[in-house]
Amino acid sequence: MELLIDGLKKAIEMIFSGDREVFAITWLTLKVCLISILISSIIGLPLGILLGLTRFKGRRLLLLFINIGMGLPPVVAGLWITMLLWRSGPLGDLTLLYSPTAIVMAQILVSLPIVTSLTCTAFQQVSDKMLLQIKALGATKLQTLAILIKQLKIAIFAAVMAGFGRVIAEVGAAMMVGGNIQGDTRILTTTIVMEVSKGNFDIALALSFILLSVALLITAALTFLQQRKRIS
Amino acid sequence: MNPLIELKDITFKAHTKTILDIPEFQIYDGEFLGIMGPNGAGKSTLLKLAAFLEQPTSGDILYRGEIIPNGNAPLDLRRKFSIALQQSLLLDGTVFHNIAIGLTLRKVSKSVIKEKVAHWMELFGISHLAKKNALYLSGGEAQRVNLARAMIVEPEVLFLDEPFSALDFPTKIKLMEDFKCITETAQTTAVFVSHDLLEINYLTNRLAIIVNGEVKQSGPTPQVLEHPNASTQSFLNEWKKFYPALTGSRSPSSNFKSVEKVSLR
Amino acid sequence: MKKNRFLIALFALMLLVLSACGNSDTKDTAAKEKKPAPKPAPTEMILATTTSTQDSGLLDVIVPMFEKENNVKVKTIAVGTGQALEMGTRGEADVLLVHAPAAEKAVVDAGDAINYKRVMYNDFILVGPKDNPAGVSGNDIKAAFKTLADTKSTFVSRGDDSGTHKKELGIWTADNIQPAGDWYVSTGQGMGQTLQVAAEKKGYVLTDRATWLAQEKNLNTLKIVVEGGNDLMNIYHVMQVNPEKHDKINSKDAEKFVNFMVDSKTQDVIENFGKKEYGQSLFFKYTE
Repeated sequence: MELLIDGLKKAIEMIFSGDREVFAITWLTLKVCLISILISSIIGLPLGILLGLTRFKGRRLLLLFINIGMGLPPVVAGLWITMLLWRSGPLGDLTLLYSPTAIVMAQILVSLPIVTSLTCTAFQQVSDKMLLQIKALGATKLQTLAILIKQLKIAIFAAVMAGFGRVIAEVGAAMMVGGNIQGDTRILTTTIVMEVSKGNFDIALALSFILLSVALLITAALTFLQQRKRIS
Repeated sequence: MNPLIELKDITFKAHTKTILDIPEFQIYDGEFLGIMGPNGAGKSTLLKLAAFLEQPTSGDILYRGEIIPNGNAPLDLRRKFSIALQQSLLLDGTVFHNIAIGLTLRKVSKSVIKEKVAHWMELFGISHLAKKNALYLSGGEAQRVNLARAMIVEPEVLFLDEPFSALDFPTKIKLMEDFKCITETAQTTAVFVSHDLLEINYLTNRLAIIVNGEVKQSGPTPQVLEHPNASTQSFLNEWKKFYPALTGSRSPSSNFKSVEKVSLR
Repeated sequence: MKKNRFLIALFALMLLVLSACGNSDTKDTAAKEKKPAPKPAPTEMILATTTSTQDSGLLDVIVPMFEKENNVKVKTIAVGTGQALEMGTRGEADVLLVHAPAAEKAVVDAGDAINYKRVMYNDFILVGPKDNPAGVSGNDIKAAFKTLADTKSTFVSRGDDSGTHKKELGIWTADNIQPAGDWYVSTGQGMGQTLQVAAEKKGYVLTDRATWLAQEKNLNTLKIVVEGGNDLMNIYHVMQVNPEKHDKINSKDAEKFVNFMVDSKTQDVIENFGKKEYGQSLFFKYTE
C-alpha cells in the first residue's frame, strides 16, 4: 500500500533529519515506559514471589484483586488517577496532573498486576517436594530464593516483557492524565492519535513505525537475555 | 552404643489427624536402616522429622544425645544430613552444577568442588555426562545424579525416600548394585524408606515396620522378615506372597570394583 | 556466563540512569526549545480548550508567544467543549478558550467564569458528497438541514457535546426537527474522525472551516455545499476561571492571557494564520 510506504519513508526521513520534536517525543516515551516497568518490576517481582511461595490468610483474595487488575481498562486507570491528581483531588497539592509523573503512575497501575500475577503463577508452581529438596541440600532461605529465581528466570522475564508490552502500548490513560502537552507529556502513542485526528496519516504512520521499532528493540534485548543458556 | 539421632515421645499431627505416634526411635552410626509400611503409614513424615526438615507436634529429637528444642535444627546441624527422593528433582543446569550444588551452598572452594564432583561422578559412572543439561537425562541417569548430589556433602546420615521406585527393573538393579558398593565403601549411615521388599532385603541391615503411624516392629532385617510379629504379619505376608524365596538372608556384597559406565539411553 | 551478567548489568545501569534523568525536572524538554537564560522558574497555567482549536495549529503559534513574553509554562489541555467548560466549573483549569456561546453563557451566569472576552471567529460549513444527491447549496443552513431531513440523506453528527455539535443541534431546533433514524449517524468523536466517517459513508457533515481546510486532502469524496450565512459563525471567547470559587487558580497569568488574546498584535497573528498554507485566513479578528 502506498500509504504504508509513504509512512515508512517519512519515518526514515524523520529519524535522519534529526527532527528535534520527534526525538524528544521518542525519548520521553522511552523514559516514561522504562521507568514504569522498572518500578513495576521492583515492586511486582518480590510481591509475586511472596504470593507464590507463601500461604497466608487473605492471600487468595489479594490474588483475585491482582488478577482483576490485569484486565483493568486503561481509561479507567486514567480516570481514577485524574481524579486523584486534579486540583480538587486528594493529591492535588502535588500538581502532578498533566506531567510525565502522572503518566508513569497510570502505567504502573496497569502493568504492576501483570508482573505480579505472572511471577506469582510461576513461583506457585514450584512443587513442595522441590522446596524440601532444596532445603535438604542445605540452602538458607536466601539461597533457596536465589536458586528459584535462577530456575524461573524465563518466567520472570516473560512477566516483565508482558508488563513492558502493556506500558509501551498505553494511550488512553496517558492522554487523560498527561494531556498530550507539546514538549511535556507528548509520547509516541498520544501523538499518533493526535496526528490521526488531524488527518496527517503519513506522520501518524511514520510515528507508528518508530514506536514499533522501539518496542522491538527492547523486547528483543529482553528475549535475548531470557533465552541465554547457562554455560558454566 | 549411643544413637546418632533419637526420637522420643514423638507425635505429629496435621489438621487434627495424628500421623505419627512414636515413643522411641533410634538411628545408629554406620547402619543402613530400612523403614517399611503400608501407604499412608507415616514413613515419609518420620524421615523428614529425623532429617530435621519438619518439626514434631510434640516430643524431642536428639542429636548425639543433645535435645534439639522443638526439633528446630540450626543450619549447621541441618547441613550434616542429605536427602534423596523418588523424583530426582534436578535443577536446570549441567550435571556438574547439580552435583556440586550442596558444596556450592556450603561455600566450598571451586578447586575442591571440582575434585569432589569428579570423584563422585566417577563412582556413579556418570563422568561422561558432566556437561549435559540435567533435565535431559534418562530416569536412571537422573537418579545417579541425585544420589551423587546427596552423597558428595558426606552426610552423617543419608536419608532416602524410595529413590529407586520410579525406575524400571533393569535400571534399578544396576543402580542398586552400584549404590550398595559405594555406600559400603564409604561406610554411609543411611535411612531408607521403601515399599519394595527386594530393595529392603538387598540394602538394609536393620528394619523398622510402621503401621498407622506407629512402629510395630524393629530389629535386624533378616530377623524381622523371618519372624514378623502379630501387627506386622499381615503386611509382610502380603509381600512374601510375591517373593517366596526371600528369607531375609542378605546376599553377600560384591567387592567394589570400578563401576561400569552407564549406557546412554 | 560473564557476558550474560555484563549485559544484565548494563541494562540495569541504563534503567537507573534513565530513572535519574526522569526524576529531574521534565520541564527541561520544553526548555530545550526556549533556551532559558537564568531567570526565575516559570509559573504554570492550565489552558482548557477544544480539540478542533488545538488541531487547527493556531495555538502552536500563539501560545509560545505568550509563554515567552510572560515566563509562563502553559499546559494546553485539548478536550471536548463539554469537558473544557466542566474543567472551568470545577476549577481544574485557569483559563478557557472555547466556542460554544450558549453553553458559555451558563458558566458565566453561574459565576464560574469571569473576564469573558470575545476573541475571534471562523465559520462553519456544510460539506457533503461530491455528487450532492440532496441538492443543497447556497448559504441558508436552516433550509439545507430541512432538506436533508426530508430526503433522509446520510448526516454525520459529532454527537459529543462539542461546540460544533451544539451549533448543529441549534439549527435542528430552529427547524423544529428532532433528527433520528438510520440516516442520522452520531460518532461521539472529534471533528477529524467525524469527517472521515462522513467521507466513508458519503454523508453530509457540519464542520468548522479550519478543520476542513486542514483535512481536505484526505477527504476526496466530499466538497463544500453550504457556507456563508450569519448563523454559521463559530465564535470564540476567552475567559478566566473565577479564582474566588476555587483554590489553586493561577488568576494572575490567566488575566494576562485574556489580555493577550484581545491584544492587537496577537489579533494580527491570528488573522494571518494559515494564509500562506491555505490561501485564506482560518480565523478572523472579532474583539468587542
